Amino acid sequence: MRLQVVHSTRYDYSPAVETAQHMAYLEPPDKPGQRLISHTLQIHPGPAQQHSTRDVHGNRRCFFSLQSPHRSLEILAHSVLETSAPAMPNSRLGWEAARALFRYRAGQTVDPACEFSFASPYAPRDSAFAAYAQPSFPSEGGLLAGAMDLMQRMHADFTYESHSTQVNTPALQALAQRKGVCQDFAHIMVACLRSLGLSARYVSGYLLTQPAPGMPRLRGSDASHAWASVYVPDLPADRRWVDLDPTNCRAGSHAPGEDYVTLATGRDFGDVSPVRGVINGGASHTLTVGVTVDPLPEGRVGRDSPDTTFAT
Amino acid sequence: MRGVSAIESVAKEAVPTGAWLDFFSQIDGLGDTELDQRLASLQRQVRDNGVTYNVYADEHGPQRPWSLDLFPLLLDAPSWAVIESGVRQRMRLLEQVLADAYGPQDLVRRGLLPAALVHGHPGYLRAMHGVEPVGGVRLHIAAFDLAHGPDGHWWVVGQRCQAPSGLGYLLENRLAISGQFPQAFQALRVQRLAATYRTLMESLRRCSPAGEQAHIALLTPGPYNETYFEHAYLARYLGLTLVEGSDLMVRDERLFLKTLNGLVPVHGLLKRVDDAFMDPLELRADSTLGVPGLLQAVRAGNLLMANAPGTAFLESPALLGFLPALAQQLLGESLQLPALPTWWCGEEAALQSALPRLRDCVIKPTYPASAPQGGFDAVLGRRLTEAELDAWSARLARQGEDYTVQAYLPLSQMPTWQNGTTAGFPGRMAPRSLMLRVFAVSDANGGWSVLPGGLARLAGASQEITSMQYGGSSADVWALTEGKVDRTSLLQSRASPTELAQRKRLVTSRAAENLFWLGRYTERAENTLRLARLVLDCLNGEEQTNGPLLNWLGRMSVAHTLVLPGVPAPAQARRVFERALMASLDSRDSATSVGFNLRALKMAASAVRERLSQEHWRLITRTEEEFAADCAAQVRRGEYASVDALRTLKHCSERMAAITGAQTDRMTRDDGWRLLSIGRHIERLGFLASSLDTALEPGMLDTEGGFEAMLTLFDSSITFHAQYQQSRQLAALLDLLVLDRDNPRSLAWVAQTLRGRLARLAESQPDDSRKLAGIVPDPQGWTLTQLCQPHTLQSALQNYRSTALSLSEAVSARYFTHTALSNQSVGHA
Repeated sequence: MRLQVVHSTRYDYSPAVETAQHMAYLEPPDKPGQRLISHTLQIHPGPAQQHSTRDVHGNRRCFFSLQSPHRSLEILAHSVLETSAPAMPNSRLGWEAARALFRYRAGQTVDPACEFSFASPYAPRDSAFAAYAQPSFPSEGGLLAGAMDLMQRMHADFTYESHSTQVNTPALQALAQRKGVCQDFAHIMVACLRSLGLSARYVSGYLLTQPAPGMPRLRGSDASHAWASVYVPDLPADRRWVDLDPTNCRAGSHAPGEDYVTLATGRDFGDVSPVRGVINGGASHTLTVGVTVDPLPEGRVGRDSPDTTFAT
Repeated sequence: MRGVSAIESVAKEAVPTGAWLDFFSQIDGLGDTELDQRLASLQRQVRDNGVTYNVYADEHGPQRPWSLDLFPLLLDAPSWAVIESGVRQRMRLLEQVLADAYGPQDLVRRGLLPAALVHGHPGYLRAMHGVEPVGGVRLHIAAFDLAHGPDGHWWVVGQRCQAPSGLGYLLENRLAISGQFPQAFQALRVQRLAATYRTLMESLRRCSPAGEQAHIALLTPGPYNETYFEHAYLARYLGLTLVEGSDLMVRDERLFLKTLNGLVPVHGLLKRVDDAFMDPLELRADSTLGVPGLLQAVRAGNLLMANAPGTAFLESPALLGFLPALAQQLLGESLQLPALPTWWCGEEAALQSALPRLRDCVIKPTYPASAPQGGFDAVLGRRLTEAELDAWSARLARQGEDYTVQAYLPLSQMPTWQNGTTAGFPGRMAPRSLMLRVFAVSDANGGWSVLPGGLARLAGASQEITSMQYGGSSADVWALTEGKVDRTSLLQSRASPTELAQRKRLVTSRAAENLFWLGRYTERAENTLRLARLVLDCLNGEEQTNGPLLNWLGRMSVAHTLVLPGVPAPAQARRVFERALMASLDSRDSATSVGFNLRALKMAASAVRERLSQEHWRLITRTEEEFAADCAAQVRRGEYASVDALRTLKHCSERMAAITGAQTDRMTRDDGWRLLSIGRHIERLGFLASSLDTALEPGMLDTEGGFEAMLTLFDSSITFHAQYQQSRQLAALLDLLVLDRDNPRSLAWVAQTLRGRLARLAESQPDDSRKLAGIVPDPQGWTLTQLCQPHTLQSALQNYRSTALSLSEAVSARYFTHTALSNQSVGHA
């Protein structure tokens, strides 16, 4: 499926910001199941410096800074991707056996993915997560089967409610109130798996949403999406991360579906937040985010190139 | 006189080494009372030097004087040699562990080091993975806490690898204690410390991208940090610029210091801020202590950081259990200095070894308190009940990774001197448990030097754990040598003339602002002191019924909040007014009592302590403390005698004269000093103009008393009478107080000085700020004839009052704005 993503972020400041430094994770990777055809990042006003590197998890990130006063900042990321439908892998590995692989034993080779079994700021380990996850992981149960069951239970138990949580709402609180947004669900699921000693990571990305029948597709009405990914050590090396979306109850290798776009992966939101920055000045600010995901016919590269583009 | 046998027995019982006998025979001539006196003088010295350790490390927390014992800890040459070589070996090892963790990660992959202690530790910074350290070294400074067993061996208990504290305190300890026992210090061949600090500085310069010409700064979290004293102390001793995060900024992946003269490059940071707070862009977004973009500068190789960000994971006690095998693997050596047996309970085999011996062990958190798992205070197994032990065992079995078990070693003790009390108990020798902290620093050749000395931390009388935060004390550490004593001084370090010139000019914007306020509060304190003395003198002298004078003094007192506005005027109720004034001299409620100004002066001075001499700083603290103590004594007595208050004020005025003397005579006249001076003169301009202006209205100057009071307030009586004898003409008064350009209290002199300083300051500015001098009216155009017109005079005075206000705003806007703006993080929903 060919998808076009337009992700716009706008800050309005009052009074003007004197200097600012930002870090953006807005460039989707080229990876199995997803081919990046084009990507541009426009920044207004134009930054004094800009450079892009890969982070430790392999994500593309862009640093830029502004050194003159500005009352607003607009960041427009435009990407065109080709996605393919994921397969649902089969794994017979028991969850306790997987857990044992991540436990330290002197002199025994360790799978590097065990890095994702540790607590991280937004997805800590806690007995409350373990208790919630436990019914999905009976003794001698399968790892992947358990993860799928956990996803289905979360989908049934939790209420999606916008504005019920803040960006920094601890996952524990969201678990207790059984409601939140996709980001909370992803954190809870990751934290549940980690609390059992399993490796799981956070995925930030997009999802193609279908307008209600007979209604036109609204521009910028979508939001960026997030889901979880679990590490299944007995699968072939390039297919060990299986993505699970507790918000929509969908799962698959590399992505939960063909209509998903992966933007970045990390331990939690803190590693991959799409735009963060530190401003000097600008006592108050408002933030406006718009995301539009459109299906494109094959062969079309997307809309015309914008006036100013910064190759990244 | 104390018998040698008593000393000997305590000494033997405490630390069995012959060095103690040498020490005590050196000080054998000293009787109990002399030791008492020395301890008292030592405590006074610590207080006077303002050596503090902020216990609660917050704005309102108490500053506690540093606690230092009289006797040093002695380490004879053979013991020291073992420690030195063992610590150096551990530094080599830790550096290699770091290189692997931020590089190939072989140790984790091969199961030699648990991932939980690297990737699972919040001190491991992913942002630094794959980054080659600037200058080739990551670990420039580390501290090792050592315990001394009954068998005489030293054991490593823990290591501090992020931003260890103590390097400043131990210097201060050394200066104080070697001064108490100069003969013993000579005779025992105590190794000197300066060479190690010099080595560190050479190493930092050589490692930094600018080499010998490097500008290196010490990054402090600021005055509220518990160890701020030593940050200022070290900065002064090492010749580093003391900076806070808000003084710095990153541009083009390079670090700059915001100074009065624009941005100045910084090539190296000796950091005392924890890693997590270093860069709000990539690390903790809520940090106000760091510099956004700092990690980019480090990764680009443009900035040396000591230590490199990301060394904190080495501090986990759990790591100690893995180091012996890592030493074999990486160095092919056995560790010379053993660590206490340590079991990380995340490993099944270690957990099984640890569980049966919990009672004889200490349970420590594997991760720091800041970790998502949270921390806890170390638990001593033998203090636990059977049920508690079971509960801990269950916890360890359930979530082993979070817990580390370490063998408990009863700390050995050293002799200390406890002072006799006023109640008549004699001073005595008493043993105290000790923990020794030693430091290693990188040398310029890719190796490490161990500081021959350290910080001995002593537990309280009945405590088993030493901690400066829980009321412990400290002692100097004398590492003895059998060879030659290295008498290197830090002063010999080579610095090129250009480098020296550069260093002299640097005034950070923050320092500039604090110096400006130091000047203003100095002048305010002087003004309120002089005014309070004048009021009390007048109320009790021949002029106590002079109505216009009393009215003027009443108005002035209210204007400078020496009394609150509701107090009846002195002409109506003289004694009530007098009592009110005396009662609020050190008031904590009104914003401009004399005491408030003295405290504000001290606050401003404390923020620029590294620019003031010890003597100068001592003068400032003592002035404030004595004034507060005197006032408190009068409040306690409940009886306000004007004689006592006048004595307090007079004494304080004399102290202030010494402070202003130190400001004019003992400070380098750089741009920072100019701002101090500008601050003083702005304040003086406003005070003099408003005093004179209010004195004109009620015709106060027509009486002799009023005339004299005016001269006193302007500190100009002597000059006036020398020039005009007994004349009481207004014209003569105006000539001296307004026009005279040789009288430092005349408006013309103040205006002229301000114009001069502002012009001089503008010379070194990158852009044109000369117009600031133009805000101050030029006194050159005035004539006495004009001024004698009441209307002209009044408008001139009012002009000056508003000039003082607008100039202060203009100076703030021009020179201080960038530190006033604070950084804030903006996230993404």
